[in-house]
Amino acid sequence: MLKRLSSVLKRLYNMLKRLFAHPFVRFVGKKTAFYLIVAIIALTFIFLVPRLMPGDPIDRMIPPGTTDAGRLRLRAELERYFGLDKPLLEQYLSFWANLLGGNLGLNSNFRPVATVVMEKLPFTLVLVMPVLLIGFFVGNWIGARAAYIKGKVSETLYFTSVFASQMPFYWFALVLVSILAVYIPIFPTSGTFSARFMPGLNFATFADASRHYVLPFLTLLIITTGGWATGMRSMTLYELDSGYILYGKQLGFRNKKLASYARRNAILPQFTGLNINLNNLIGMTMIIEIVFRWDGIGLLAYQAVLSQDYAMILGTFLVTMIVVILGNFLVDIAYAFLDPRIRTGRG
Amino acid sequence: MFDLLMRSRKFKIGAAVVLAIILFGIIGSLLTPDPLAYSSQYVQPPSSQHLLGTGNFGEDVLAQLCTGTRNSLMIGALAGGFATLIAVLIGGIGPYKGGVLDEISNAFTNVVMVFPMLPLLILLSSIMRGGSMLLVAGLIGATSWPWAARSIRSQVLTLKERGFIDVARMSGMKDRIIVLREIMPNMLAYIIVVFVVSLSIAVLTEAGLSMIGLGPDLSSNVTLGTMLYWVLNNTHTALPWTLWWNFIPPGLLLTVFLVAVFAMHAGMDEVFNPRLRSV
Repeated sequence: MLKRLSSVLKRLYNMLKRLFAHPFVRFVGKKTAFYLIVAIIALTFIFLVPRLMPGDPIDRMIPPGTTDAGRLRLRAELERYFGLDKPLLEQYLSFWANLLGGNLGLNSNFRPVATVVMEKLPFTLVLVMPVLLIGFFVGNWIGARAAYIKGKVSETLYFTSVFASQMPFYWFALVLVSILAVYIPIFPTSGTFSARFMPGLNFATFADASRHYVLPFLTLLIITTGGWATGMRSMTLYELDSGYILYGKQLGFRNKKLASYARRNAILPQFTGLNINLNNLIGMTMIIEIVFRWDGIGLLAYQAVLSQDYAMILGTFLVTMIVVILGNFLVDIAYAFLDPRIRTGRG
Repeated sequence: MFDLLMRSRKFKIGAAVVLAIILFGIIGSLLTPDPLAYSSQYVQPPSSQHLLGTGNFGEDVLAQLCTGTRNSLMIGALAGGFATLIAVLIGGIGPYKGGVLDEISNAFTNVVMVFPMLPLLILLSSIMRGGSMLLVAGLIGATSWPWAARSIRSQVLTLKERGFIDVARMSGMKDRIIVLREIMPNMLAYIIVVFVVSLSIAVLTEAGLSMIGLGPDLSSNVTLGTMLYWVLNNTHTALPWTLWWNFIPPGLLLTVFLVAVFAMHAGMDEVFNPRLRSV
């Protein structure tokens, strides 16, 4: 019995060892550990920020005009309620226990923060994901084209994409609304649904939300596409200038074939830029949501800030940070999958 | 280094535009009336009296634009300087010293590169909103240095391998002297451009934060971002997007500034990046 168990364990061990000998698995394992550490640091920040900040959140909860004795009593009561009378380490441990149990506390309307945040998260993701993917493909396509066509068209394309990528996105939102919603009223100016519209699970809801979706989506898409296009253009130009392309030219390869080689080599460094782009995009989306009153996490966080709802503020930022870290992790894994040296394990 | 940079046309044009905008902010804010002088002529379109019209409280938009440019650049310079300083310390000392210090600085930069800095910045500035311009600059600087640390790091790594550093080390020069006399002169132009780019990122970030009311105190400060805030939160029309003379000038100025810095950066790449070297 014991012998069989030990042989099973040994086989399992060998299997795992073989598995981890594969570079792709090892890469994923390494990245998992790395991002777990990043997540722990980020969430510790969330725990520390309200405790290290100047200004006392408890103080703000006590209504003005309370007597000094009442103030002291209320203070003690509130500190006990929020668990702030316990030692810091115990607070930290219970913070993690609550977090892993999906408990983010109650907001000022006594609704669970986790529920409210999860209701709004899809509205943010529906902006971020398509912009990230479409912007990446369209921008890189434009950039690669701009690199190997010559003359006026290429120049115009380049300057347009530089302008698009450098414009302040929040200002571009104002310009877009003033043109496409006010002077030529095609789209609604802001909001997620029309006023006095009862959202439900039907086509009318979808159609109404789509009309509101177009402008914030376009704003983010144009800005990110411009960024990818300028980056891709300079990467492709560099590749077109390198030895293997010149050699290919002398061997008589077709230009189209050479362009595809250059494109494939230029796209890999672009992929590593996806991480930074995702981080920026999430921050941009938060601000764009506020400008357009789009009902996502950014607007939720903003409203929580205005009403000084601490549990809500921390909850929204906590979820945002988890989304950023998870997104970065997925981008890294996708990168490993695309880089044949890591995927096949033959470097 | 600078004569090399000046050979790049992109850098020259970009630097000229940036300089013009700085002068516009400094000289303009001296020549125009008080940007916080309120009057009863709310949101008037441009006229001969107010070249760019008036804002939400009847203030002169041109005066606001000048002072706003100056203040935004000031916040940008402080934040950019702070970010550059952190980047030089973290991206420079580690790889120069090598060993454990290098490992630590490398791991640290890797973590902060994927760290959700922008959400953290929005969180910090929403908790401390309504502060001074200095506070806003500090927060932006403290959260915007990762890319700069990485690029300085790679620059130091290549510089360290060069022969003249080895010669200096073998001749018994102290580290402090090597850094000051051998490395710094070679890094200075690069650090300055990192600073300019950090500055432009900080200006962009400040205006974004201010536009949603998370920048410096709105009642006593004028920046390009607070101008945008008062467009969105104006008290005269339900359609702020028709007040084009209020929001087109600050945004356009920001765009021109950022494109000019981009041109400078591209020009710098032509000089410093061996892959793209053309001058």
